Amino acid sequence: MHILIVEDDQVARDYLAKALREVGHTVDVAVNGLDGLQLASSIALDLAIVDRMLPKLDGLALVQSLRATGRKFPVLILSALGDVDDRITGLRAGGDDYLTKPYHMSELMARIDALARRGELGGGEAATRLKLADLELDRMTRRVTRGGKKIELTAREFQLLEFLMRHSGQVVTRTMLLEGVWDYHFDPQTNVIDVHISRLRQAIDRDFEKPLLHTVRGAGYSLGEEE
Amino acid sequence: MDQEQGFLGVLTSSPFRIAIVYSVVFAFGAVALLGAVYFAVSRVIDGSTDNLIAAEVQGLREQLLVLSRSDFIELVNQRSRDQDVHGAFYLMVDPQLRPVAGNLPAWPKIAAGQGKWFQFTVTVPYGDQTRVHEVRAQRFPLPGGYRMLVGHDVQERQDVKNVMMRGLVAAVVMTMLLGIGGGIWMGRRILAHAGAISAVATQIMRGDLTQRLPVRDAEDELNTLAREINGMLDKIEQLTLGMRTVLDSAAHDLRTPLNRLQSTAESALAHLDPASPERRVLERVTTEVDRMRNTLDALLRIALAETGTVAREAVDLSALVASIVELYAPVTEERGIELGSQVAAGAHIQGSRQLLAQALANLLDNAIKFTPVGGHIRVLLRNESGGPEVVVEDDGPGIPADKRELALGRRVRLDEARKVPGSGLGLSLVAAVTKLHGARLVLTDAGPGLRVALQFAMG
Repeated sequence: MHILIVEDDQVARDYLAKALREVGHTVDVAVNGLDGLQLASSIALDLAIVDRMLPKLDGLALVQSLRATGRKFPVLILSALGDVDDRITGLRAGGDDYLTKPYHMSELMARIDALARRGELGGGEAATRLKLADLELDRMTRRVTRGGKKIELTAREFQLLEFLMRHSGQVVTRTMLLEGVWDYHFDPQTNVIDVHISRLRQAIDRDFEKPLLHTVRGAGYSLGEEE
Repeated sequence: MDQEQGFLGVLTSSPFRIAIVYSVVFAFGAVALLGAVYFAVSRVIDGSTDNLIAAEVQGLREQLLVLSRSDFIELVNQRSRDQDVHGAFYLMVDPQLRPVAGNLPAWPKIAAGQGKWFQFTVTVPYGDQTRVHEVRAQRFPLPGGYRMLVGHDVQERQDVKNVMMRGLVAAVVMTMLLGIGGGIWMGRRILAHAGAISAVATQIMRGDLTQRLPVRDAEDELNTLAREINGMLDKIEQLTLGMRTVLDSAAHDLRTPLNRLQSTAESALAHLDPASPERRVLERVTTEVDRMRNTLDALLRIALAETGTVAREAVDLSALVASIVELYAPVTEERGIELGSQVAAGAHIQGSRQLLAQALANLLDNAIKFTPVGGHIRVLLRNESGGPEVVVEDDGPGIPADKRELALGRRVRLDEARKVPGSGLGLSLVAAVTKLHGARLVLTDAGPGLRVALQFAMG
């Protein structure tokens, strides 16, 4: 993927660029909002990572200008403010995701993958049937089967599985699950998500030989065929 | 405000009450003034009639001394004819009370115990009809058992008195009506203005500091007050914005170096052998960064909630509480704690869904931390008439009564809590969020355990 990083903090920028290049992305960097806007308008990008507070042109204004000129690639906003309302203003300005500093690289990578996938699907939200190996989920009938056998899930487990299937093959962090499935933006001090996942795992993996729901150490979970 | 409440509001408004008090005072004034006039006028006209009669009696008595009976009779008859138009009455009767002279048909019945002054009624012609008139009279004896009566029609004077009495009553009624009407009018005006002020004040208390009180063209106390309050609000808005700016720059200045630290540590970690001792050191660094981040997040959210500048939205409290219970149900079950809940439907408030969710999550985190295996946690949402109430109670060790206030303070961890992980900001955030929503936070003994209640106000 071709990714643009607009970040004024050098340490964060260098590390981010290096980490993204290591996993095979093409990376361009800009150190202020104006340079960022110029670059973003002149080259074909797959994704941009934009710091919220930038010299010369504020991060939010940058995203707004991009959207106003019809640039549709996903934008992830990084913020050193990061509170309830800031997140909402960030997304309203045209950002697709919002991450507060300090962040773990694993969290950022997982979110970039999710954004890239969303771009590829081109709003494939409408698909009513999701399929992974022998696991099938029908959004219309709210029916889940594995190997033709019906699996009973609670409403929340169904939502959780749907989210994971949309992101199958990718790492999904606990924060992403709490945001995506429950729409909550805080870190509970109790491992609530882990227990929900282990229940879901019981339901979809227990009676089958090949596990589909994997734990990714230090990052989160991943739904997929192979480890 | 519906019609009835609006009208009751006018009746209990202070201008209306003042107007009522004043109209009662003025009514008393009118009674006193007109009463005095009535009294004085009555005395004057009564006195003048009496003088007239007394003079006539005096005159007749003098004539009595010089005239023979037949001449006196002639005099009485003559006076009767002359005075007829002026409403004077004369009657002379013999000892058997048979009329001898005068213009009255018969000697009136005189109640016993009357002095020489008395009153009676006569029927007099009035156009084509007749009227009953009040007559005031004096009598005196004549020689030979004859009696004489001299009277005067006082109907006119009664009419004047009646008109004055009616005027007095009308004046009192008018004063009262004007007072009540004026009171209602003033009450409405003031209520309309006060209502506008109180509506804006409610919005301001809900965190919309850009609102200002309405100021009209008129120069009155309410406007002056509204103007001064607006000035005060400008100041508060400035201070709050200033505080927000300080918070934002503090957040930025703390998060940026933390992020550098995290990036540097992670970047170094990526190239280290899994078993190397440096790796363990760096992993401890990232763990500490996480901890600092959690504390920073909590502190910033508390500060933000305390500035009251958080955006509000309509929050379905019932759905929120149910969803938090559902989020925590598996983890409590896994830890051998029974999580019971009773959530009333249809509780709605204005507020920040995210902050409310976090406050509830903090309460459940706390409850789970302190509830032993086999213990119980109960979450209740009651839709009380005064507003919804959310209760989280556990049967853990609880908080001693004398330390409950302390526990709400910032960064207080009671001794018993030191062995469990956490930032110590959980309850502080709950307190700040509760205050932000204009709710009351009540910590009580669940016997055993802690009972935390969030009591929201209506609407």
